Amino acid sequence: MRSLWLLIKKNLLILIRAKSSALIVIFAPLLIILILGLSFNNSAKYGLNIGVCSDSFTADVDSVVTSLQEEEFKIVKYEKSLEGCIEDIKLGFVHTCISLPESFQIEGNAQKEITFYVDPSKINLVWMVQNTLQEKLNLKAREISEGLTSEILTKLSDTKTKVGLENDRVEVVKTSNTQALGSIATSQAGLLGLDLAGPTAEYDVSITNTFKSNISTSLNAGLAKVNDAQEALDDANISSSDKSPISSLLAQAETNLDQAAALVNNGSGGINAIVALVASMEADLTAAKNKLVAASGQIDSTTASLESTKASLDTAVSSLNEIKNALEGIKTNLEAQKVTEAGVISQPLVTHIEPVAPRSTHLNYLFSGLIVLVIMFSSLLLGTTLVMMEKHSPAFVRNYFLPVKKITFILSIYFTNLILGLIQVVIIMGIALIFLPNFYTAIPLMALVLFLATSVFTFLGMAVGYIFNSEDTSVLGSISLGSLLLFFSGLILPLESISPAIRKITYYNPFVIAEKLVREIFIFNTPITAVWLDLVFLTAYAVVLFLIITIFESIIHQHLINKYLRHHHKLHRENDKKKTGV
Amino acid sequence: MESIELKEVSKSFKGTPILENINLKIEEGDVLGIIGQSGSGKTTLLNLIGGFLEPTDGEVVYYSKVEKQALDLNKNLNKIKKYIGFNPQHTSFYPKLTVKENLLHFGQMYRLKKETLLTNANSLLEFTRLEKHQKKLADQLSGGMQRRLDLACSLVHKPKFLVLDEPTSDLDFILQEEIGHLIQEVNKQGVTIVVASHHLDFLEKICNKIAILHEGKLKSYGNIGNVQKPFFKEDIVINIKVKEDKEKIIKILKTLPVKKIVDQGHQLIVYPENPEKTMLALLQAVKKEDLYLYDVDLRKPSLNEIFTKVTKGYKVEE
Repeated sequence: MRSLWLLIKKNLLILIRAKSSALIVIFAPLLIILILGLSFNNSAKYGLNIGVCSDSFTADVDSVVTSLQEEEFKIVKYEKSLEGCIEDIKLGFVHTCISLPESFQIEGNAQKEITFYVDPSKINLVWMVQNTLQEKLNLKAREISEGLTSEILTKLSDTKTKVGLENDRVEVVKTSNTQALGSIATSQAGLLGLDLAGPTAEYDVSITNTFKSNISTSLNAGLAKVNDAQEALDDANISSSDKSPISSLLAQAETNLDQAAALVNNGSGGINAIVALVASMEADLTAAKNKLVAASGQIDSTTASLESTKASLDTAVSSLNEIKNALEGIKTNLEAQKVTEAGVISQPLVTHIEPVAPRSTHLNYLFSGLIVLVIMFSSLLLGTTLVMMEKHSPAFVRNYFLPVKKITFILSIYFTNLILGLIQVVIIMGIALIFLPNFYTAIPLMALVLFLATSVFTFLGMAVGYIFNSEDTSVLGSISLGSLLLFFSGLILPLESISPAIRKITYYNPFVIAEKLVREIFIFNTPITAVWLDLVFLTAYAVVLFLIITIFESIIHQHLINKYLRHHHKLHRENDKKKTGV
Repeated sequence: MESIELKEVSKSFKGTPILENINLKIEEGDVLGIIGQSGSGKTTLLNLIGGFLEPTDGEVVYYSKVEKQALDLNKNLNKIKKYIGFNPQHTSFYPKLTVKENLLHFGQMYRLKKETLLTNANSLLEFTRLEKHQKKLADQLSGGMQRRLDLACSLVHKPKFLVLDEPTSDLDFILQEEIGHLIQEVNKQGVTIVVASHHLDFLEKICNKIAILHEGKLKSYGNIGNVQKPFFKEDIVINIKVKEDKEKIIKILKTLPVKKIVDQGHQLIVYPENPEKTMLALLQAVKKEDLYLYDVDLRKPSLNEIFTKVTKGYKVEE
C-alpha cells in the first residue's frame, strides 16, 4: 500500500514538474471545461438570423416578426425578395428564410402557407430551426384557429337565440291554426245542418198566369176606357146630348167590367181557383221563407266563424313571415361563415420546408464537414509531428551549421505537410467523385480553399510543435486544439446554441470558415466573388500564423539548440560517470 | 592563416560563471585537445568556438584567409558557418536516411556542386570505410560506424575547422584508435581540429596543443611539450633489490647536487637540484661501480598525471 502511494506520489511529482505535461494533463481539461461551460451555459435561446420574406410587411407579418424578435432571433426583412434571402442562406448570413403570406386572415377554405427555406447541408441546424420556429408558428396558427372557431361559435349562439325567439312565434301560429280549425269545424257543422229541401207539390202555374193575364187585360182595358171616357167627357165642352153617346160608351165599358167580374167569379178557371192556388203557394212560400231565414242565420254564423278563422290565419301568416325572415337572417349569417373546412379551421397555417439546395444524399451534406475535418486533424498532427521530428532529430544541431535560413526549414516542413495533405485530399476527392459525380465543376475553387485550409492547420500544428517540448504533449496538444476547433465548429453542436459572446468568436474559427467555404462551393456552387472575404480571412490566418511561427522560431531557436546540447551533454556526463566514476 | 582566437572570453548561465577569461588561439593545422573534468566548461568552450553560444564577455574572432579580415564569429556566423564542421557529443545525422543519403543531404545543404559533392561523398565513404555500408540506414550502423558517419557528415563540405566534442565516447579502445587515426588523417588534409575528450591518452596521441580547463578557468594551454614542462618530476625514484648496493648508491648520490634523499627500504626517493643532470651522473656512477638498479623513474608526466595534478590544485608556474 505504501509502495503504491509512493509510486502515485512520484508520478504526480513528475507530471507537475514537467511543465508541458502539467499544462496539458491538469490545466487543459480545466480550460476546455471552462471554455465549454462559458460557451454552452446559456438558455435555450438560439442565436439564429432569420430572414422574413413577404410581399409586404403588414400588421400580421409584423406580429410574427415581433414574436420572433421576442425570442432574441435576429430578424432580417426581405420585402418581395425571396431570392435575396435564399442567396443569403447560401452565404451563411441568415440561417433560414420564412416566406410569410401578407395576411393571416383566412378567407374561404384555403389554408395560408408558410414556407421555410433551409440549408439542408446544415443538418443539425435544419432541425433546430424547424423545431424552434415551428413552435412559434404553431402558436400563431392556434391563435388563428381559435379566432375561426370563436367566430363559428358566436354564429351558432346567435342562431340559438334567434331560434328561441322564433319558437314563441311558432306557438302563436299553432294557437291561431287551432282556433281556425275550431271555427272551420263549427262552420262545417252549421252548414251541414241547413235544411234546404223545397216544396214538393206540383203547381199549375199556367192557370194562374192565364187568369192573371185575362184579369189584368180586362181590367186594364176597362179601366183604360173608363178613364179615357171620363177624361173625354170631363174635358168636352158639349151639351148633354152630345154626352149621350159618351154615356153609351161608358155603359159598354161597364159591360166589359161586368164580364170581368163574371170571370173572377167563375169556379174553374175563376178567381177562386186562383185564390186556392195562391193560398197553397203562400204556405209553401212561408215554409220556404222560414227555411231560408234559418239558412240565413246559419250563414251569418258561418261567416262569423270564417272571419275568426281568417283572423287566425292572418296571424299565422304574419308569424310565418317573421319566421321566414328570421330563418333567412340565420341562413345569411351562416352563409357568411366562409371557412367551413374542418381541416382549415383546425390548421389554418400550413408550413412547408424547402431546401435551398437540390435534394441530395446525406453524404453530400456531410462531405464539406468531413473533408475539412480530415484536413484539420491530419494537418495539425502532421505539422506538429514534423516539427517535433525536426526538433528531436539527432541532426538538429548539425542543421544549425548549415548555411540555410531558418525560414527555409519552416517552409520545408510546411511544404512537406502540404504535399502529404494534398495527397490525402486528392485521394478523398477521388473517392468522393465515385459517390458525388457532380463534383467536377467545384474542383478548382475547392482546391484553392483546401490549399488554404491545409496551410492554416499546418501552421497551427507547427505552432503547437514549436510550443511544446515532448512529442507526447505536443500531439496531445494538437489533438486538444483540433477537438476544440471541432467542438466550436457547429459540426457537433450548432454554433447558434453557443452563448452570444463566444459565438461571435467561433465565427472566426478557421474550421468554421473552411467548412463554410467548402459547403458553399460544393453544395451551392457559389462563385469566388461571393466568398472572397472568407478566402481572404483564411489567407490572412495562414500568413499571420506563418509570421508568428517564423518570429517565434527565431526567438526560441537558440534556446532550443542550447537546450538540446545541454540535454545531450547531461546524458553524456551521466554515462561517463557510470563508466568511469569521474 | 586561418585561425580562431578567444579573447578574454567569459560565459555564464543565469549568473553562474561557466568560463572565465579564456584566452587561446587555434591556428591552422593545429589539433587542439581540450581536457577538463565534467562541468569544467569543455562543452561550453566548444559551443563558443562553434558559434552555438555567444560569450557573456570577450569575443571569439575568426581570422579568414578568404575573407581577408578578422571577423567576430557570432556576428558573422552565417558567413563563417561553411568553414566550420561541428561534431556534437551525440551522433548528428538522420537515422532514417542511408549513409550516402545523409552525406548527400548535408552536402547539398552547403550548395556544393553535384560533381564536387559526389567526389567528396565518395572519398569520405572510402576514407571512413563506409563504402560497403553506404546503402544502410544510419540507425542500422554500429556505434563506431555511426561515429565515422558523423565525422564524414561534418567533413562533407570540406571545412577549415572541425570541432569534435567527445568523439570517442562510448567507443572501445580499438574504435578510439580508429577514430584517432581518422582525425589525424583529416588533420593531414589541412583541417584544423579542436577536440574535447575524457580519453586523455587518446588526446595525447593526436593533439599538438592542449588546453586544460578546471572550474571554468584555463589552467594550461599550449604545445603539448610546453604543457608538460611544468609537470616534469622533481624526484627520482630508485628501486633497489640488493641491500649493499643501496648504501653505495646513497654514497654516490651524496656526491651529487641533491637536496634530499628519502630511504624507504627498497626504494630511494631523491630530490635533486637538477633531475636530468643528477640522473645522468647517477647512471654513469652505477655503471662504473657495477651496481644493480631494479628501476629508475624519471619520465615526462602523462596528460593523465598532469590533469590529476591540475585538478588537485597543482599550481602551474607560468
